[in-house]
Amino acid sequence: MVLVLALGDLHIPHRAPDLPAKFKSMLVPGKIQHIICTGNLCIKITSRHSFQEIHDYLKSLCPDLHITRGEYDEDVQYPDTKTLTIGQFKLGLCHGHQVIPWGDLDSLAMLQRQLDVDILVTGHTHQFKAYKHEGGVVINPGSATGAYSSITYDVNPSFVLMDIDGLRVVVYAHELIDGEVKVDKIDFKKASTNQSAP
Amino acid sequence: MGKGAPEWLNSSLWSSKPNQDHLSLYPPETLKPDSPPRPPTPPPPPSPPKAEFAPSGASLSADPGPPRLSPEEISRQSQIVSELSKKIINVGELRRLVCQGIPDGARIRPTIWKVLLHYLPNDHALWALELEKKRSQYQSFKEEFLQNPTEITRRMDESAPAKYEELNTEARGLLQRSEIIHGEHPLSLGSTSVWNQFFQEAEIMEQIDRDVKRTHPEMQFFSGDSYHAKSNQESLRRMLSVFAKLNPGIRYVQGMNEVLAPLFYVFRNDPEDINAGHVEADTFFCFVELMGVFRDNFCKQLDNSVVGIRSTISKLSQLLKKHDEELWRHLEVTTKVDPQFYAFRWITLLLTQEFEFFDCLNIWDTILSDPEGPQETLLRICCAMLILVRRRLLAGDFTANLKLLQHYPVTNIGHLLYVANKLRGPMPD
Repeated sequence: MVLVLALGDLHIPHRAPDLPAKFKSMLVPGKIQHIICTGNLCIKITSRHSFQEIHDYLKSLCPDLHITRGEYDEDVQYPDTKTLTIGQFKLGLCHGHQVIPWGDLDSLAMLQRQLDVDILVTGHTHQFKAYKHEGGVVINPGSATGAYSSITYDVNPSFVLMDIDGLRVVVYAHELIDGEVKVDKIDFKKASTNQSAP
Repeated sequence: MGKGAPEWLNSSLWSSKPNQDHLSLYPPETLKPDSPPRPPTPPPPPSPPKAEFAPSGASLSADPGPPRLSPEEISRQSQIVSELSKKIINVGELRRLVCQGIPDGARIRPTIWKVLLHYLPNDHALWALELEKKRSQYQSFKEEFLQNPTEITRRMDESAPAKYEELNTEARGLLQRSEIIHGEHPLSLGSTSVWNQFFQEAEIMEQIDRDVKRTHPEMQFFSGDSYHAKSNQESLRRMLSVFAKLNPGIRYVQGMNEVLAPLFYVFRNDPEDINAGHVEADTFFCFVELMGVFRDNFCKQLDNSVVGIRSTISKLSQLLKKHDEELWRHLEVTTKVDPQFYAFRWITLLLTQEFEFFDCLNIWDTILSDPEGPQETLLRICCAMLILVRRRLLAGDFTANLKLLQHYPVTNIGHLLYVANKLRGPMPD
């Protein structure tokens, strides 16, 4: 029973002042064991204070924080991709602006095969998505602040919490819709441990 | 005129030098005729088998070595065994025999304690049924209280058709989102949410975990990296967790682990194979029974009430004043050693921290069996502890006395229990 928070594309303070209050009231220390962040927390150069605040806030929720580089993450040394193993699952993290066409599921599937991970967490489109292909699962937690993207202004704030338990994962999608947090879930499992692709 | 030390104390038997010889027994003729025989301390754990006179029935090959017993003790041992084997046990008679001590406890102590703690009824014919009932009840407690929220919500979900997707299959596509059951999700702040309750209890679980890991670090049974130690710790953890969840009014309080430990040790070392798979369940219910008696000592809210620990400690004070006013005055008035400084731990932890583990088992034999009841008996033993070191206490100041009482010297348990017995009030017929 390992809880992993996946979020990203915050764009604080340029496109959004902060995480929604209703999210912050749910995200409290002591529950989450890992945080994976797709990137674009905010632009550090012009808003060092905001960056420090959001970074510290996430760290206070859970000290194990992983971040990959978004196209606006200047002046920080984040990697473009990151992989980590949690329980029986290998997770991959990548902001996704590097994968063209943006949000294209076939292209993301190729990245996933390259990283050789069961679950690829990626962002950039600011749209929640959970997609399955032969190589595994791609999850986009959307934008946790509801910041506008290059494509659309109509963005509901969203993030994902994964419960990794043995060979099963329950993905809880949290979306702020009309001022209320709506949670639903996706249940998936893998057949056995560490099967390498034929 | 103040009451001095009771006359029988003037005997040179009670010189304050601690007697380290565990097997020493006073020759019977120095005792007054009406005094009960003293229970001996058991031999220290595994020593090579002694090729000498052994009580009937004990096998020399398997045991660490049968104790050297006096004829009186052999007789009492066989009386205890015989009472225990009766179809209907006379519990009053069993108590009378056991509170003088169990000469060779290792084999029969588990059963005796289970009878004394009302786990086994006095009618042998009912044992199988009772055990079956209790053991399956513990099993359901474990299932109900020890599952994590993931498992619980999965069970809730199982009534709905399985909506999980399998990976490693050929199909591509968006994964289907489904509704959460009963609003349950890990970050839920609802008061009835299993997740929320789980996180609120996490602190208690962590405390239990910490305390279990530091229970009796000097014993291989409880501590260390061996498989058995780890497994025993897991058992302690489970039992304390179930107790905490079953008793939201008191949950877990530090020290409960120390009260649980001797019970678990004794039952785990029961030579009766038939009980081997059920040690946790048996220990759990005996622990519940014991906590039933001493629970108020652990309840902070009751600290200042008539049933709380402070009131119990003041009873000890009264007892000391009654039996040895000189000592009481010197201790509490002159040197201002408030009994709370030492008796708190003596009483709440049932003396588990004051004596060697195996000496404790002997003391508990008396505490659990004495017809006056565990609380009264415990207080008499505590009072005896003070009286036994009276010479040192009378010569000491605040610092020396506090140090002595917080690190009680090694003592012949036989002495101690004999003195405690002498402090008995008028017995109802």
